[in-house]
Amino acid sequence: MREKINEEISVVMYYSARKRLAVPYLINWQNREYMVGKIGYRHAIREGQTLHHIFELVDKENTLWFRLNLDTSNLHWTLEAISDGIAN
Amino acid sequence: MESPINYNNPLIMHIDLNSCFAIIEQQANPLIRNKPVAIAAYNTPRGAIIASSYEAKALGIKLGTNVRDARMLCREVIVMTPDPEKYFDAHRRFKKVLQNYTDEVTPKSVDEFVVDFSGSRAVQLGKSLEQVGHEIKKDIRDSLGEYVTVNVGIGPNRFLAKLAAGLNKPNGMDTINGENLRDTYSKLQLIDLPGINTRYRARLNMAGIYTPLQFLDAPASLLKKQVFKSIVGYYWYLRLRGQEIDNIGFSRKSFGQQYALGQKTADIQELSRLLMKLSEKCGRRLRKAGYAAGGIHLWLGFENRTNWAQSKKQKSDVYSTQDIFLAAQRLLNSLTLPCRVSNIGVTVFNLHPVNPEQLGLFDDSRLDTRGLAKASDLVNDRYGEFTMVPAIMANMGDTILKRVAFGSINDI
Repeated sequence: MREKINEEISVVMYYSARKRLAVPYLINWQNREYMVGKIGYRHAIREGQTLHHIFELVDKENTLWFRLNLDTSNLHWTLEAISDGIAN
Repeated sequence: MESPINYNNPLIMHIDLNSCFAIIEQQANPLIRNKPVAIAAYNTPRGAIIASSYEAKALGIKLGTNVRDARMLCREVIVMTPDPEKYFDAHRRFKKVLQNYTDEVTPKSVDEFVVDFSGSRAVQLGKSLEQVGHEIKKDIRDSLGEYVTVNVGIGPNRFLAKLAAGLNKPNGMDTINGENLRDTYSKLQLIDLPGINTRYRARLNMAGIYTPLQFLDAPASLLKKQVFKSIVGYYWYLRLRGQEIDNIGFSRKSFGQQYALGQKTADIQELSRLLMKLSEKCGRRLRKAGYAAGGIHLWLGFENRTNWAQSKKQKSDVYSTQDIFLAAQRLLNSLTLPCRVSNIGVTVFNLHPVNPEQLGLFDDSRLDTRGLAKASDLVNDRYGEFTMVPAIMANMGDTILKRVAFGSINDI
């Protein structure tokens, strides 16, 4: 089931100079830490002049999917939605 | 008028993303891969499904099925609403991959491209189009994700390339050329040919044509004079033989927005609010493309499944949201609603570039709406859509969401 969250969360991000890739590494949501597993898709959207990076990913245990939004104007992270991959 | 089958080396490639919206969602969320997924315009029982994954299609959940029926067919179906920005991003990545091979890339829709390899360096260097097709499949997986697959069709013209792309779904690659043309047609039905719908099939049947092979063997005069009763018949004659007649670009003729009301209404005030939002969306696109319009078209669909539509050419240019709204509101006022409205659409037509600008009598006066439109566009460009809106649109929130057009993708 997919659920809208829209909550600011803590994220540790990792940048690989070799791969030239910046990705979330660890998420802390509701006092629980989730190691990031597979990144399914990343895209950028604009709201006016502000660029937002949207990361859709699953935790390392493959139990939860997260949709994260990085607001590049203030570098704040928002957890927009989660899903357990089961029908609603 | 008679024309032979085209035996030239096939150099047109048609590429389409398999179950586009559903597969992109499955790529984005690994937890829903290999499961039935349906993308619905609205996640409500009557919301129409606009895309479904291969797993859902196998269960009978197809385009146009509503959410309630889909859940009756499969309780485990995962229903999602569309995420247009993500699909536009996928479209842009898809296009970028193809442009690495040649400049002759034509988008046909958000998930379909036609590529003309006539002048391509890869082909000039001696690569076969099948080799290039395999490379493109790999590049698309690298760019969009490992779960994304495409169908590749190769043919001497756009029609045969599209037909080839549909032969083996998903993740297929087929070539139709002069040699295997008859053999390919012999395995298909008329309705399998792109562009042949049930009405065209009925017309062909009336002339004694029941199979694609009979269609191919029909003389041009029969198709033109008896079946299609127009030049369209001759076009089909050429198309079926692999002759190219579909490489025509169409310039933009109009901008339109429409909305299916979640709550049907006969309340004129509510309809005016919707009309304003549609006018604003339409106006933003019109101005962004650098056009002004010469006419307005308003269309209403009613709950009793009847329609009403009216167009009106305007005496002066339509440019601002207010111009569009006022003209559309006048059309709306001229109508007595027979029952509740279920659909509403606004289109502006007779487009012409806004430069050079035709000076109006009221320019730079309080009645000049252009300055206001430009100022409000600047605010919305900077702070996001609908930051500054006419008062009538206050508190409308997400009513009338962004959608992906099925055909034209000029605005991406």
